[in-house]
Amino acid sequence: MIRRSLVSTTTLAAMIAVLLIAQAPAAGQVQSPATKAAPPKATPAGGKSWTPPRTPDGKPDLQGVWTNNTVTPLERPKELAGKEFYTEAEMQALAKQERERLAQVEDEGQPPANHSGVEGAPADDVHYDFSQFGLDRGQAKLAWNRRTSIIVGPQGTVPPLTPDARKRLAEIRAKAKGHEFDGPENLPLGARCLARPNVGPPLLPSAYNSNLQIVQGAGYVAIETEMIHDVRIIPTDGRPHIPESIHQWYGDSVGHWEDNTLVIDTTNFTELTPFKGAQNLHVIERLTLADEDTILYQFTVEDPGMWTKPWSGELPITKIDGQLYEYACHEANSPLANTLRGARVAEERAANKSAK
Amino acid sequence: MIAGVAVLCVLSLAAPPSAAQAPAYRAPRTANGKPELSGIWQALNTADWDLEGQAAAAGPVPSLGAVFAKPPGLGVVEGGEIPYLPAMAAKKKEHQANWVKLDPEVKCYLPGVPRATYLPYPFQIVQSQNTILISYEYAGAVRIINMGAPTKAPADSWMGWSNGHWEGETLVVDVTSQNEDTWFDRSGNFHSDALHVVERYTPRSADTLNYEATIEDPKIFSRPWKISMPLYRRVEKNVRLLEYKCPEFAEELLYGPLRKKSSN
Repeated sequence: MIRRSLVSTTTLAAMIAVLLIAQAPAAGQVQSPATKAAPPKATPAGGKSWTPPRTPDGKPDLQGVWTNNTVTPLERPKELAGKEFYTEAEMQALAKQERERLAQVEDEGQPPANHSGVEGAPADDVHYDFSQFGLDRGQAKLAWNRRTSIIVGPQGTVPPLTPDARKRLAEIRAKAKGHEFDGPENLPLGARCLARPNVGPPLLPSAYNSNLQIVQGAGYVAIETEMIHDVRIIPTDGRPHIPESIHQWYGDSVGHWEDNTLVIDTTNFTELTPFKGAQNLHVIERLTLADEDTILYQFTVEDPGMWTKPWSGELPITKIDGQLYEYACHEANSPLANTLRGARVAEERAANKSAK
Repeated sequence: MIAGVAVLCVLSLAAPPSAAQAPAYRAPRTANGKPELSGIWQALNTADWDLEGQAAAAGPVPSLGAVFAKPPGLGVVEGGEIPYLPAMAAKKKEHQANWVKLDPEVKCYLPGVPRATYLPYPFQIVQSQNTILISYEYAGAVRIINMGAPTKAPADSWMGWSNGHWEGETLVVDVTSQNEDTWFDRSGNFHSDALHVVERYTPRSADTLNYEATIEDPKIFSRPWKISMPLYRRVEKNVRLLEYKCPEFAEELLYGPLRKKSSN
């Protein structure tokens, strides 16, 4: 019997209900001008006359602890092709579905089915229930919006890869095949506690802990992402990008203010950028305070060597109570050691078997 | 004597804290009237090698020769020595003898406070009214200093829990709830989970700060002790904090033995 302490199902249901009533119209207000198919604004409150709060030095105040936790997928599911927004009724149905899914996960005495991924392993061999630790995305505040995908536009999908990129990625995959567990460098960047794709840029939700904190100082905006305690310190004082020869996992971000919007330009990524392996990634992000509890987050990514055209997305980022926790990843990375150890044991067993 | 102490106490109570430290320098103010500490700062000393100071010595990797040999330094501990309880002094020596194997810095673990301040990497202060964020280049370590009503840590952590307030020109930060896994330096100086650090950041000129940390840990030390050092602003044009994601550099050390053996 496992007692979930963080959020009870009832609380969650109530929370989602409240969110639906409160957030959905707000989401309606924060559609970008580019999205002409935006649903009509539901409430007059928070209209154009709203002025965002300012920091003492007169900049829009984006500070606080936020989440971009969402049920909206990055790419639009095939069955919704051409449909950029849910209707209000569809949104409610989606929320109901999400509630029911969580209720099911939370059923007492029901360990999830075999999550170990090992064929034939008993169901309780590996107990891997995120909701037990409050990590299921449905247990945290969700930034609801009526988009059917984070990627905007009629397609709602990442544009096709260029032939060169297809070839390059296929080569990388072929080279990696059969060597997935040879050494730490063969494992994904996240498993090595080096970088996570959700940090981006662009900032995207992760499966859990999709939390970030924004702090604004003189001439700088700092965005800390809970996982993996990554801080982007974005100068807004006109500082140029770092020299072209220096490349970083998360690139180099510089920013400026356009009225109520923080515009961030990021270049200088590594060839192994966590973001889809784009080699010459260029990301432009726009953060606009839509109301006191919502930042409209918009981004455009481009890499002419990677995709046939630039692509853009948007999602709301919603304010949450509390603080970020320290996500010390590398310091207790036993999964990485265990993965490698397991691979060595499997190889040894296979060798013994063939020697017989 | 006792009367003298009493008079001193009264004096220090009566005098405004800023006057007690008599800073000749008054820092520029933020929009809300506090000393502006924002910027990229770095210690310029050998505290990370040995808080107590040391003569120069060969480094741990002979093939590196003069590179990464131990530089000499005068030390930053007030009074010179760290007041270990006798049993704990022995443990420190054991740490020192096994430095490369045991030092969390070698493994790229989060450094804790105060070590984060005087590691040989810059750090950046992003100062807001209710929150001060300090981002350290080493390991991408970060801490948020709460400048509002003091709050309690929800759990122990590597970088601890920081509550700050202003005393005149000085930012005072109370740091608790650090786990016991960080060290103070490459010489094995260490603490327990009872560590309590009080830091004081005081502007002393446009481009320097005085940094003091009072360290209290009754499980390890016989009394509180103090380190102090200047911090220097990195004044290079267009200076930036860059990524130093060192887990990658520690992978061979930590996971090398688990690597697949080459079949030939």
